[in-house]
Amino acid sequence: MIRPFYSFLLIALAGSAPLLAHHSFAAEYDDTKPIKVIGTVTKVEWQNPHIWFYLDVKGEDGKVTNYAFSGGAPGQLMRRGIMKSAIQVGSTVTVDGFKAKDGSNNAFGSKVTYPDGRMVFTANQEDQTKR
Amino acid sequence: MKKLTIQLSLLAAAAAFAPVYAQASTPAIPRTADGKPDFTGTYQWPTYLPGAERGRSSATTFDRKNFAPLKPGGEAFLEPRTGDPRHDEPRDFCMPAGFPAGMLSANAMQFFQTKNYLTIVHEFQRMSRIIPLDGRPHRKDIEPSFYGDPVGHWEGDTLVIVTKNFKRWMMDDYFYTDPKEFRMHSDALTTTERIQWKDKDTISYLLTIDDPKTFTKPWSQEFQIKAKPEWDAVGLFEYVCEENNRCPGGKCQGN
Repeated sequence: MIRPFYSFLLIALAGSAPLLAHHSFAAEYDDTKPIKVIGTVTKVEWQNPHIWFYLDVKGEDGKVTNYAFSGGAPGQLMRRGIMKSAIQVGSTVTVDGFKAKDGSNNAFGSKVTYPDGRMVFTANQEDQTKR
Repeated sequence: MKKLTIQLSLLAAAAAFAPVYAQASTPAIPRTADGKPDFTGTYQWPTYLPGAERGRSSATTFDRKNFAPLKPGGEAFLEPRTGDPRHDEPRDFCMPAGFPAGMLSANAMQFFQTKNYLTIVHEFQRMSRIIPLDGRPHRKDIEPSFYGDPVGHWEGDTLVIVTKNFKRWMMDDYFYTDPKEFRMHSDALTTTERIQWKDKDTISYLLTIDDPKTFTKPWSQEFQIKAKPEWDAVGLFEYVCEENNRCPGGKCQGN
């Protein structure tokens, strides 16, 4: 399982131009509101038009909030070898992304990092270099 | 002399047994039993030729340097965004990309060619274009549509697809690069696609935009379509946009 993750990392490093593959990004997310959280994966929806995964995130006050993160289309991800098993319910991950325009706990998750440094890119390949 | 005769005989035998790939004008391209170029296969979406202007969308977009000048009244082509996502990004509500924008989306596509039809299935929104090749005319008295009404014919080894009767709709994804360029073609659009094998792995895809309400004359851009036989084993994936479109227009459902 390790090898594919490294290949995603190489793809990410090779990319330079900021590109958008997520056809809804402009309509749904605010690229001036980046978000970075650490949490436990509670659910994965590997469905069209874009995958969603959910995270329980503990705030400074100890209160747990569930966040939802959108990624690429399942077909685009799977053609790159990223399967549903790349994001496991119960695992702890760090997610970098952009908040939804409606101010809710929904966001676009452009990067998922495991505690050991492995990175799974849930966005389309080109989104990894999103501003 | 005897050696030469044997070599010539071998060449003749090879030619006789290789009708699918051997024809004089083009090197080693796939051909159907009746000798037409065969485009059946799995492909990457049309991508840029070297030197073309690239947008910020992963979808391929048109290079402005190919555009003909806008004619008076053609400014509607650069329709500004309104802030209403139903106008600014209708695909966010699972509305179709239409042609040509959908064809240029960054997903795999599969071509199925028979004597009378070329069918193009694109993974994005599971777009399917059924293109008659049997010489029939464009259909009469049908409503304009997002993907238009295509018919195809052969000009030598080039398959020419002419599509008419479009709704006014987005031409490409350039608005992800510059929100001030929404690039809406008019309902007068006729597209002509010229599809030709360049080599055994690459199709030349020349797309002509003839939109007389918008441009002073037709203009064209050539793209390339790369064969991806390695994608064929898994095939296209389902794309049902309505399945879990959680944040249409930026208004997310609860979680």
